[in-house]
Amino acid sequence: MTDSITTQEQPLFPRRKKDDRPLFIVFVILSFLATLTLLASASANRAAADWHTDLASSVTVQIKPNDKPGAAALARDILLQSSAVTAVTILPVERSKELLKPWLGGAALPKDLPLPILLDVRLHAGQAIDNQQISAAFLAANIRADIDDPQKWAKEIKRPTNAAQALSVTALVLIITACITAAVFATRAAITGQRRLIDVLHQVGAPPSYTARLFSANFALTGLKAGGLGAGTALLVSGLIGMMFASSSGVSFFLPGLHLTLTDIYLVIAVPILLAIIIAFASWRTIIKTLYEEIYP
Amino acid sequence: MNTATSTSNPSRAEPKTQMQGRDNIRFDHVGFRYTRDAEILSDLSFSLPCGSMTYVTGASGAGKTTLLKLIYLHMRPTRGLISVFGRDTSQIDRKAIPALKRRMGIVLQDFDLIDHLNVFENVALPLRVAGQKRAAYKDDVSGLLKWVGLGGRAHALPQMLSGGEKQRAAIARAVIAKPEILIADEPTGNVDQDMAKRLIRLFTEMNRLGTTVVIATHNKDLIPKDASILALVNGQISNVTNDAGIKA
Repeated sequence: MTDSITTQEQPLFPRRKKDDRPLFIVFVILSFLATLTLLASASANRAAADWHTDLASSVTVQIKPNDKPGAAALARDILLQSSAVTAVTILPVERSKELLKPWLGGAALPKDLPLPILLDVRLHAGQAIDNQQISAAFLAANIRADIDDPQKWAKEIKRPTNAAQALSVTALVLIITACITAAVFATRAAITGQRRLIDVLHQVGAPPSYTARLFSANFALTGLKAGGLGAGTALLVSGLIGMMFASSSGVSFFLPGLHLTLTDIYLVIAVPILLAIIIAFASWRTIIKTLYEEIYP
Repeated sequence: MNTATSTSNPSRAEPKTQMQGRDNIRFDHVGFRYTRDAEILSDLSFSLPCGSMTYVTGASGAGKTTLLKLIYLHMRPTRGLISVFGRDTSQIDRKAIPALKRRMGIVLQDFDLIDHLNVFENVALPLRVAGQKRAAYKDDVSGLLKWVGLGGRAHALPQMLSGGEKQRAAIARAVIAKPEILIADEPTGNVDQDMAKRLIRLFTEMNRLGTTVVIATHNKDLIPKDASILALVNGQISNVTNDAGIKA
């Protein structure tokens, strides 16, 4: 019997699952929220970047209804003269009708309804057309057309993206603060509960760092496990919500959906690790401070 | 003493004859008070040589425990100087204190065994803290447990032990790392007279092997007639028996 005792080392810090459960749940929730925030933020950034790229690489020209015949072809020729333009496609009338659906519904439109003709203008990467020059050319050719300014839309996208980022950062700061507070509170409770262990370790000559390592490692492990569970759940939940949006043809702007990127995977892995590091650091600081204030003269 | 016992005892300690003469513990006009209360210890001056065995006696509240706490660096004096292992404790950085404490063994009145660790783990704690590998110390711990009569109780948790068994486990923990100074606060306070005498014999054996032993007790029946005694009354030295070389 003695042999089995002497070969297996008992953990110095008692691991009582029942006692750790409330803290574990708090860390699961914090990790869940942090992961969800990061995934949403990353998804929003990705969507904004994609839209920005789309806007920067194309321009839509709208030939006004009832313009002279051949106006679209003439406008295409004018546009192709610009060195920034790679291709111009005259969109069929059906496309114009599709754009009106949100306002007029799916009912058949009268054949004589005046509709604009849309030109999809593709640009070289990083280049832009000179709106004034093209407008002057259209005017000279007696074409009544509007040229969309992509910069205007880019600004419109940037504003909510920045707001979403600020919200994400605020949420993360609050989550980290809550995490540190929970870790400090739990460490103080553990110091009270394990006072005899601390006193005995002090008696037998354990340096404060030894005792602090014992406590912080325990909390870090709890944080890592809880963080893993929280991050995994957040990934699953965001995936399910994304799938629901996709199946209902809705918009999943802030959700990663089922299309996980490598960044999402890194985030899900990083959250529990960062959580464990934050908890370990907060716990370490708390116990070192207490040891020097109360135990070590 | 059996073979296992001899491996568990402080064999590394210097022979007593070589160590005697050097002071292990020295108090110079030491006083101690908590906050603004009256001094619990007042103007204590004495020195305990290496390899000495000293009994600190006095009534309850005389300052015995406080004196021991000052020796094992649990507290710092409010005045005066204390030297331990030849080092002025006021000059010792608090980061260096754990290393000095590892050279001491401490037995407290309430045993201070850790409830969730079995007897083996409790006794092995100083070696574990010192960073020793389990394979290197498990035989020493098992041997010492046999020597103190706890060979069959290695697996038991402290709450399963009697008062005497707890006391022996606490003593085993104090001596397992072969300390140069052994400090015991009322080590016989919770055991019957027979067990108390056995424990005193154990301390005497430790001292014979070179350890400086300081025992605080109010039980004068246990103190041998030729013992070195430091008697405290109201925080002051009232009497010193110099047989073992106390210089007061």
